[in-house]
Amino acid sequence: MAQTIILTNNPLVVEKLGPGAPVEYLQCSYKSVLEAARDRVHQGAKLLSHPLSGSVKPGETPYKSIILTMGKGDVDEQSLRLIENAILACAKFQQRCDRYRPAVDLDCRLIDWTLLEGALASANQ
Amino acid sequence: MKLEIGNIFIKDIQFAAESKVADGVLYVDKAALEKVVLEDETIKAVSFDIAKPGESVRITPVKDVIEPRVKVEGPGGIFPGIIAKVDTVGSGKTHVLKGMAVVTAGKIVGFQEGIIDMSGPGAKYTPFSQTLNLVMVCEPVEGLKQHDYEKAVRLAGFRVATVLGELGRDVTPDETKVYETCGIKEGIEKYPNLPRVAYVQMLQSQGLLHDTYVYGVDAKKTLSTILWPTETMDGAIVSGNCVSACDKNPTYVHENNPVVEDLFAQHGKTLNFVCQIITNENVYLADKQRSSDWTAKMCRLLDLDGVIVSQEGFGNPDTDLIMNCKKIEAQGVKTVIITDEYAGRDGKSQSLADADAAADAVVTGGNANEVIILPKMDKVIGTLDYVNKIAGASEETLQADGSLKVELQVITGATNETGFINLSAR
Amino acid sequence: MAKLRVVHYINQFFAQIGGEEKADYPAELRVGEVVGPGMALMQKFGDEAEIVATVVCGDSYFNENLDKATADILEMVKSQKPDVFVAGPAFNAGRYGVACGTIAAAVQEQLGIPSVTGMYVENPGADMFKNKIYIISTKNSAAGMRDAVAKLAPLALKLGKGESIGASVEEGYMPNGVRVNFFEKERGSARAVKMLIKKLAGKPFETEFPMPVFDRVAPNPAVKDMAHAKIALVTSGGIVPKGNPDHIESSSASHYGEYDIAGVMDLTADTFETAHGGYDPVYANADADRVLPVDVLRDMEKEGKIGELHHLYYATVGNGTAVASAKKFAAEFAQKLKADGVDAVILTST
Repeated sequence: MAQTIILTNNPLVVEKLGPGAPVEYLQCSYKSVLEAARDRVHQGAKLLSHPLSGSVKPGETPYKSIILTMGKGDVDEQSLRLIENAILACAKFQQRCDRYRPAVDLDCRLIDWTLLEGALASANQ
Repeated sequence: MKLEIGNIFIKDIQFAAESKVADGVLYVDKAALEKVVLEDETIKAVSFDIAKPGESVRITPVKDVIEPRVKVEGPGGIFPGIIAKVDTVGSGKTHVLKGMAVVTAGKIVGFQEGIIDMSGPGAKYTPFSQTLNLVMVCEPVEGLKQHDYEKAVRLAGFRVATVLGELGRDVTPDETKVYETCGIKEGIEKYPNLPRVAYVQMLQSQGLLHDTYVYGVDAKKTLSTILWPTETMDGAIVSGNCVSACDKNPTYVHENNPVVEDLFAQHGKTLNFVCQIITNENVYLADKQRSSDWTAKMCRLLDLDGVIVSQEGFGNPDTDLIMNCKKIEAQGVKTVIITDEYAGRDGKSQSLADADAAADAVVTGGNANEVIILPKMDKVIGTLDYVNKIAGASEETLQADGSLKVELQVITGATNETGFINLSAR
Repeated sequence: MAKLRVVHYINQFFAQIGGEEKADYPAELRVGEVVGPGMALMQKFGDEAEIVATVVCGDSYFNENLDKATADILEMVKSQKPDVFVAGPAFNAGRYGVACGTIAAAVQEQLGIPSVTGMYVENPGADMFKNKIYIISTKNSAAGMRDAVAKLAPLALKLGKGESIGASVEEGYMPNGVRVNFFEKERGSARAVKMLIKKLAGKPFETEFPMPVFDRVAPNPAVKDMAHAKIALVTSGGIVPKGNPDHIESSSASHYGEYDIAGVMDLTADTFETAHGGYDPVYANADADRVLPVDVLRDMEKEGKIGELHHLYYATVGNGTAVASAKKFAAEFAQKLKADGVDAVILTST
């Protein structure tokens, strides 16, 4: 299996996976995580998990975690299409998660983590 | 496989000292049902309420909607692998309490969602404004984790529905419908000139609050597989999905899957309804590839001529939908896909997160971003406390006059992607 | 309630002035007159609206004197203070369709008066204007007048009253890129089954959501000898000589411009600007090289990295411009580029 990296802005992911895990923690918005993934895709990384994982829409959760390969080289067309469409989709939704109460914020972290957890379970089979 | 569905028309629900169905009225012993719910020690309390079509009532946040059924003849029981043993269902005779539903409501996570208005402009967007609803709001014990709470409420709903369904066991149905499909060879012999058609149902399977269970198995851990179309009528597929109210499939929709129903209506006339294929919508891309490959493979192996593909959810499933469509078409099998749209509040954005020219026959359940004003209701079952936090709601949600300005997203079933209601868009 | 005031636009043919030989008939306002198809519209309007004036204009006159004709007609319409403006229907008459679309869009945008027209889907005016104004989809000849008016009149009334407009299939207008919800007669699953049966039988069926189709163009082989290649610049970023001499529209452009940059070493704020209305023009106006890199190519020319920069460049505005229009522009100037011996083109967007 190719070397992988998890891009995330979710502190719970960092906490759950612990030190030494292949995680790049970004202090940024949901959309910026997608853009960071796009930058890697431009350099040849492949997406391993769907950038719009979860039915909680962009703007409704501040958190996003994405698994990619570390590979560089030719651009993977499918990955590029998915990440570009995901970034475009952000514009369709109202931004309102910045007004959540702290407890709701924790729920958002948990949901993002469980979505990632499912993908990791598949990745590590 | 042949299943006889006996519909018992429920015209009213009343709380009473004893639970029973008599003359089309469902009498509910609240205390007895409460015991059924509190069997689970993680549930601290439950309250029951009744909401009827036309009343000034808002139910929110809705988790699941379930139709009570009981198996009166044939193997197995309703909700196999969950409530009943895991025996294969879909044959014999099943009684249904028709015209009513058990609605589970209550906050599981802060941004949860789901509104059912029993009257007013919102009512026409939810099919569950037309059912007599027995609503149960469950309260968890202190400190219960969201996973466990979701599971507790999910299962409590099935237990209650099962107990109520049981009340219809000895009642003579008002209407009987027979659903029968045949084996592969038998079907080819019986309908040599009819196109062979299947229903490919994509099941939400992304994770916590995004899960579906088949005979008790978490759908994200399944490979694409085949069902007799009657199996879902006995509760073979249930919902553990509480996110994206407008386009998730509550258990009620699985039990009454409209694609299954409408394909049966044409079975033996214009087409031969061969089977139902179920597949998942995992977040891991290799899972998507495997599942869609397998779906396409089965379509070919079954020598199908056409399929209807329905999806469940937003974003991630669009990719599965397009993969399924493309690969099935590549096998020479014609497809019609059912989706909904997120075209933005102004209707001008790109509706789907994925697209392909192979998807030339699309049925849409409408634009989930369209804004609607829901006037204040006299009574709220559940809590409005979270309405500002639900999907599609925004800071200006709660208006000065008590009305809600929301996107259709928040309404349970508004843009259902099995084609459950008439809403569409152009 | 008072009747809605309607101004109706028709060409010389429908005004029974004459055919092609009278197409140079200048714009004319006929106050209080209901002409040709206006009669049928009036019938449909009943008590709710009346045509207070008819504008008649020859198709050649309109298209050959676009600016003057548009300005004159806008004045005529304005003088009548209508609640709604109706043009055509134009059916499959190409120049008439373009005229109806142009004037209806101008009335709506510049006078703020809701406008509607009607034409056949393959009329070039349809693609150009269907996203700007409501265009009723008609048959391809005037034999479809009854049917066209039956859809045109109710939509005009709704627009005039400021009522909300339903989905394209309900109202009969051409899909305009805005998705609108409505309730179908049958539920989605039943529609899916019907659609599948048609598809299986090889019969025509209509998808409810046409997939966005992207034209994939295979790139040509790489230019081997750049040092001797003649390179041209083409842009959809709207870079035009200051003052926008060809009046390229800021969105949904109907044409492109050809500009000579012989001897131009650098595009400056005094000489070039953008006509594009879809992005913040500040940086493009300050230095148009940011969109059309003339300065860099001049450097490369000097350094011998490219043979030469072609002295003409082609520009249009990509903002909402119909794909069909863009294709038409490119097909035209690609021939010119070839004839001028251009080896490669750098296409810049925004």
